[in-house]
Amino acid sequence: MSDKHIISLIESNGLSALSESELSAIRAHNGDCSDCRRAFEVAQISVLLLKERLAEPFEPSPFFQTRVMAHLRERQIANESWAWGRMWRAAGALASSMVATVAALAILPFVVPGTQSNSGTSEMTALNTYSAEEVLLDQSGTTDDQVSDGQVLTTLYASADEDNVR
Amino acid sequence: MDLARFARDGDESAFEEIMRRYSPRVFRFASRFFRQRSLVEDAAQEVFLKAFTELESFEGRGSMEGWLTRITTNTCLNMLRSSNRRPELTVSGLTEDESAWLENQMADAASERHRSSERSLVAADLAGRVLETLSPNDQLVLTLIDGEDASVKDVVEITGWSESKVKVQAFRARRRMREAVQKLLAHGAKTVAKGVT
Repeated sequence: MSDKHIISLIESNGLSALSESELSAIRAHNGDCSDCRRAFEVAQISVLLLKERLAEPFEPSPFFQTRVMAHLRERQIANESWAWGRMWRAAGALASSMVATVAALAILPFVVPGTQSNSGTSEMTALNTYSAEEVLLDQSGTTDDQVSDGQVLTTLYASADEDNVR
Repeated sequence: MDLARFARDGDESAFEEIMRRYSPRVFRFASRFFRQRSLVEDAAQEVFLKAFTELESFEGRGSMEGWLTRITTNTCLNMLRSSNRRPELTVSGLTEDESAWLENQMADAASERHRSSERSLVAADLAGRVLETLSPNDQLVLTLIDGEDASVKDVVEITGWSESKVKVQAFRARRRMREAVQKLLAHGAKTVAKGVT
């Protein structure tokens, strides 16, 4: 140890972390090495400065707590008003978009005159087409059944009459 | 934990109780970083405002004191970083008392001489000025490890840094602090020599 400089030892561990054996080795080395002695003394002063700094008492202001609570309430109010503002802005955007949609729908027939009638006719046609087909199919089905029954009956009665005549 | 829960539920008196209990610790810790009284109070205020808004994140796994210490550390570091002020410490900026203190300390560095409260004040002021010339991280590790005798593990817990980072930071900070003090002493000695001749 006495051949080795102790500066790195001081810097890597700090004075308070040094063991008794390390300190006595440092002292032994310092007797021969003026640079290390100087570094050790400066390190001691540095630690002393820090300790003195930390020993300074600090008395907070008696109004500290009141001040913090006042700030806290201010922040809460600001947050609440911000939230309300945000809600109102969202509601406003929704309402204006609804008004715009209604207005657009109301204006549409005047801007494009043929749109309403055409679309109405096509809808009606679609409905009617379906209904007419249904009716026709039903009717044709019924007619076919009735005709065929009638034909059968007619055929049967006609053949019976022919038998009777004979 | 109960206090934290009540405060979280909007009970102001519970939060006031938290402040009453822990403000001495927060103030003590913040005063390590700032010499100006107003800055210490600003930091402490910011700590409690943050604590109130982040109460949700306090799950009661660690102590409230530890949690607040972490918030205090981060707040003070951020304040130091944002101020970005690292004045150059020169001998010409030293007061007569400070120069004398340094000279006396150098004369009996290893002795355990009784120090008066007046000399302690001078030393505290000088320490503050030396620390101001260092980076916020240097100030933090020096204050905690060399000033308060905190372990590397304690600093890891407070800062969230890795163990190796704390060790390296402490090593470099000690060197920079020693160089700053050594520089002052060297200049001081020259000044004294000039004054004698």
